[in-house]
Amino acid sequence: MNKLIYGLILVVIGALVGIYLPWYAMGVAFGLIAFALNMPLKSSFLIGFMAGYLLWIFSALWLDMQHPSTLPGRMAQVFPLKGNVFALFMLTGVLGGLFSGIWTWAGARLRQK
Amino acid sequence: MKIIKSAFPLAIALFLTYAMNQSWGTVPPLGKLFSPFHGFWMNAESPESGEPTEETLQIAGLHQPVQVVYDEMGVPHVFAKDDHDLFLAQGYLTAKDRLWQMEFQTHFAGGRISEIVGEKGVASDQFQRRMGSVYGAEKSFEGMKEDPAANTALQAYSDGVNAYISSLSDRQLPLEYKLLDYKPERWTPIKSALFLKNMSFVLASGTDDLKMTNILRKYGREVAEDLFPNYPFQESPIIPVGSPVDFKPVPIPAAAADFIGLGSSMTTPEKDPNIGSNNWAVSGNKTVSGLPILANDPHLTLSLPSIWYQMQLVAPGVNVYGSTMPGTPNVIIGFNKDVAWGVTNVGSDVLDWYQVKFKDASKQEYWHDGKWKKTTMRIEKFQIKGKKDMVDTIFFTHHGPVVYLSHEKAFRSNIPVGHALRWIAHEKSQELTTFYQLNRAKNYEDYKKALSFYSAPAQNFVFASNEGDIALWVNGKFPLKSKLQGKYLLDGTDAAADWQGFIPQAHNPHVKNPERGFVSSANQFSVDPSYPYYLGWQYAPAERGRRINERLAVMEKITMDSLRGLQNDNFNIRARELLPLLFAQVKSPNAAQSKALAALKSWNLVNSPESVGATIFENWVISLQASLWDDEFSADEKVPMNRPAMDRTIQLIKSEPAARWWDDVKTPKKESMSDIVMKSLQANVDSLVKHHGPQGPEWAWYKIKQTGVRHLIPGMDALSRLNIPIGGGGTIVNATTTKTGPSWRLIVELSKEGKPKAYGVYPGGQSGNPGSSHYDDLIDTWAKGELKPLLYLASPDEKSNRLRKKITLSK
Repeated sequence: MNKLIYGLILVVIGALVGIYLPWYAMGVAFGLIAFALNMPLKSSFLIGFMAGYLLWIFSALWLDMQHPSTLPGRMAQVFPLKGNVFALFMLTGVLGGLFSGIWTWAGARLRQK
Repeated sequence: MKIIKSAFPLAIALFLTYAMNQSWGTVPPLGKLFSPFHGFWMNAESPESGEPTEETLQIAGLHQPVQVVYDEMGVPHVFAKDDHDLFLAQGYLTAKDRLWQMEFQTHFAGGRISEIVGEKGVASDQFQRRMGSVYGAEKSFEGMKEDPAANTALQAYSDGVNAYISSLSDRQLPLEYKLLDYKPERWTPIKSALFLKNMSFVLASGTDDLKMTNILRKYGREVAEDLFPNYPFQESPIIPVGSPVDFKPVPIPAAAADFIGLGSSMTTPEKDPNIGSNNWAVSGNKTVSGLPILANDPHLTLSLPSIWYQMQLVAPGVNVYGSTMPGTPNVIIGFNKDVAWGVTNVGSDVLDWYQVKFKDASKQEYWHDGKWKKTTMRIEKFQIKGKKDMVDTIFFTHHGPVVYLSHEKAFRSNIPVGHALRWIAHEKSQELTTFYQLNRAKNYEDYKKALSFYSAPAQNFVFASNEGDIALWVNGKFPLKSKLQGKYLLDGTDAAADWQGFIPQAHNPHVKNPERGFVSSANQFSVDPSYPYYLGWQYAPAERGRRINERLAVMEKITMDSLRGLQNDNFNIRARELLPLLFAQVKSPNAAQSKALAALKSWNLVNSPESVGATIFENWVISLQASLWDDEFSADEKVPMNRPAMDRTIQLIKSEPAARWWDDVKTPKKESMSDIVMKSLQANVDSLVKHHGPQGPEWAWYKIKQTGVRHLIPGMDALSRLNIPIGGGGTIVNATTTKTGPSWRLIVELSKEGKPKAYGVYPGGQSGNPGSSHYDDLIDTWAKGELKPLLYLASPDEKSNRLRKKITLSK
């Protein structure tokens, strides 16, 4: 399977798990998938990172479009981003990506004997 | 080895998960908070638009369905079939908009902030509990339960809040829970009592007894009484001078022997002296409509979420609109089809300190009335986030809690150590009954009866009815004191110094339909010295009350709009009085001082937002007080004292130019009044130049004053509104200061047909959610001095283009 398909699977499962389970379930799920599908170790972090990054950033964008509000601007001040909403989206993506990437890598690594 | 190698990434992943799932110091749990499926992104709410939406919510415990319609401000209009359902809905709907605030404020009141913020909250928590906040709430809850209607209200309200809490999943929690990483606990009726008791903390915990005793010890009784007089030089009391007394006073207790005491010391902030309020009602013969108009603006700390929450509550026997306090049932300030009422604080002395003499270090016994008496103990347990639990013992004499033992450090500089606290907030009380009955009042008699249940914090209850009555009762439970009892620290061993009962409620100062055609209050002296009882020696400065009374006396053909103008009046009556006196003392000013003086001379005496004159004057008052008094009255920070009031300073300038106080005792030279005025002018101009550059538009009053409406979490600027362009000041009718101001403005014009017209606004918004457009959408209206028309509906089906959302609450 190529990276894109791996990534798509992660995004779909990640969204489902996100809607129904606690936030950290996404990481555990990614680890399990990487393990079950025997993902290539070398690209596992990147695949996981991109899946988590895109899932979180686009979900946040979608929510913000559904419910336009001053909240992102405020949160970009609660965190020292000088009110920069773009930076807040980036931070959301990076946090999601980092978390997903490490778990995907961990799952793939466990499978390698 | 291989296993370790392949499991190593897993260990990292697990650690990362742990790290992102919990808070680190002030950094919130990043994973939980940023996950778009769980964290803050879920809290965004878009403004409603277009056709009203309809929705049904299931709520356990309702007897019948409740109809709720929301207007464009986000005010819920609640239509229930009985009282139980009404209060259950009130609890549910208030929690829906304000849950975090309700819980945070009651945690604060109950001394439990350290459960949320950890060790840094402990000193404040301990202070709250040592002052007897939980003890007082328990006593007050006992009283409230005695009235079945109040008990139903409390229980149903609590059930409503809990119905909302149990409907919430973690991802739906209000933003602040996510930021501070904790969860709401179940609501209980005692929390409502805690909230109400906390109002005594906010409004009736001011105490200068310690500072007065320190002054007494240093300067003697004659000086203390001369500089801190028991009635101001200039005053316009709430009850008009010469009002008839319609009761026969009970005997006044004999005064206890003079007591000098030990005084004592310590340091940190106190109750904000700028918390005060205005209210008034004008009779029909002064209004265009021919019926009374009532106006109220309680001044409190400006905060987000707002202290007030507007609601209309309708059930058989009641249709009331007004502002509620999240955490307690009923409308607190508002109107129904027949009457309107409002409140301002009464500054009477209801808090006294008794120097305690313990038998020994075990503190099991104390000396009183010639005998050793047993203390009682109360154990308070503190759960501190991230730390071990702490247990604290509070010792009680029959007076009340010994707030700090003599070796402890007080949380505030005005709290004496080694003294027991006697405070009205510890009495059993029935405030809820008062509000329940006011919500349903039809006339003056109903209002009068409702007030008879009220204890604390004492309020000036202004009233108007569509029968044409206007009235004002200075109302609360007042200790029956000998003259000046409790101005200074009291002797805890002397039985004659104890409180000897209470003034009969019917003897509380009151006035109905006075000849002058209006009643008003602005926290000034309740009565002139001819009133038979002693209530207190110190109230808020007279300026606001004097200005309101001088305006209302001459206003005719009054409309709601002219009263709106008065609520926003920025005229500086103190400047009118003081500036000519100061100008007369000026000699050889330098260039910067001359420029400042020129600005003051051309100033129109209005504290408008852009005014530079207002800035120079207000800053001059501060530097004048400091230059005149600080050499004698703040020489030693371990012996805190108060400066004499500005009223006394003005009197000194007018009639005592040679008083010893003009001399600065820290210099060898002997200063004259003129020297001190010049010294204060220099300090004034120098400090303005130093902090704000040379005189110019940067000295605009609003830029110096920097009014802000701040989030309840200290330092949370991102969720606050700062630097609001608004005029006013502490002694201005528009009493907007840096942190305090009119927290709710209401004007109601009554109508014979039962269709009152009302306008109101508060500096915030209906929603407590920073992600909602209703979080702070009323602030700009408020800052501009405008009001919103309040929608008073007769039924849930009444047509209005202002309705945005309908919710049916069903069982």
